[in-house]
Amino acid sequence: MHSPDDAPDSLPRRTFLRIAGLTGAGWIVGTAGLTLAESVAGKLFMPVNDRLDALLLNPQKLIPEFPVSAIEPAALIENTFRFIPRIDRAAFRLTIDGAVNQPLSLDLASIQQMPLTSMVIRHVCVEGWAAIVQWGGIRLRDLIQLAQPKADVRYVYIQSADGYYESWDLASALHPQTLLAYQMNGAPLPAKNGAPLRLASPIKLGYKQSKWVTGITLVSELSQQKGYWEDLGYEWFAGL
Amino acid sequence: MLTSGLQIYNANPVFGGREGFHFPFVGLLGGWLAGGRHWHFAAMWFFSLNLLWYGVYVLATQRWKHRYVGGNDIKALQQSKNLKRRFYAWHRIAYTSIIPILLLALLSGIGMYKPAQFHWIVDFFGDWFALRVVHFLTVPTVIVFAIVHSWLALKAGGERLVDSMFLEQ
Repeated sequence: MHSPDDAPDSLPRRTFLRIAGLTGAGWIVGTAGLTLAESVAGKLFMPVNDRLDALLLNPQKLIPEFPVSAIEPAALIENTFRFIPRIDRAAFRLTIDGAVNQPLSLDLASIQQMPLTSMVIRHVCVEGWAAIVQWGGIRLRDLIQLAQPKADVRYVYIQSADGYYESWDLASALHPQTLLAYQMNGAPLPAKNGAPLRLASPIKLGYKQSKWVTGITLVSELSQQKGYWEDLGYEWFAGL
Repeated sequence: MLTSGLQIYNANPVFGGREGFHFPFVGLLGGWLAGGRHWHFAAMWFFSLNLLWYGVYVLATQRWKHRYVGGNDIKALQQSKNLKRRFYAWHRIAYTSIIPILLLALLSGIGMYKPAQFHWIVDFFGDWFALRVVHFLTVPTVIVFAIVHSWLALKAGGERLVDSMFLEQ
């Protein structure tokens, strides 16, 4: 029925080796070339993916939490881009400014007098690992409301004592589970985890959750600088 | 998807964490974590939309009735003396089983990409580690499938079948 040429065994060894070699070389050259174009892929698809993230976010919906027994203290890895800043707790002030009617400068005692929210959530890192953590602190939305934001506010900048900077969309900043935390896993927040104040939220990747927060600035437009890692190429919205 | 996925894997290997095995740099896509993520989350659109078109096509044209493994293939494997028919049965088993694997890759990927909005996906797989393992295991599965599938296609239909897939007859 078939001529001998039709048999699969007829692929000559030489031809096979040539095809295999070309495939391997094409793969290496191809991935190297496409790697050079990684920022193009990012520029083309990041706006689409950022928009998808914003669509998926329901600003009022609470993300399900975990029982205290599910906390994984050993799974949390501390990533720091420079150093752990030394902060004098007595002299510490958190400022809230920008497009607000009532700029604030708060010491730690007055922050700790505000209503405490505790949550056990999954902290997800861009690197792929995750850890279930308990965070206790004040809701960022309570603080923003105290400062009386102007009507055109759309973004929130967060400055840290070590020079790290971040920006969030307002809806995520106002989410009821976005906290400025001063407790972790039932104890006072350790310095390496961001004491005296850090961001904690189940709806953003870890690099959005600034440690050693000293300043909150409400704005209507994003500047060229969107965040330390974002300016190097990471996604800006980084929603979970 | 595979090469940029392994680039992301290297940022924190599923097995062993930072001390775990890292894939060699050559042949990976993205150059660093953000680059790997850019390609992965660009390619995910083509991957998922392709799966969607395929699903619509198979359903709309009613090809699902004859395309996948059926009782006749199992019967052929048990009874047929015709070697080609038996290879064809294996071929259809492989072809059918890759579809749930691809869907699993997509589902576990969405669970890892948006674990807060789709927390039920993470719960479905058990926990975070299980989710990562399943997503990763689709890589060797797809590679093995590609090899076995090509080999079975050659065995079952020879070059005429392969040509019919890629060339106008």
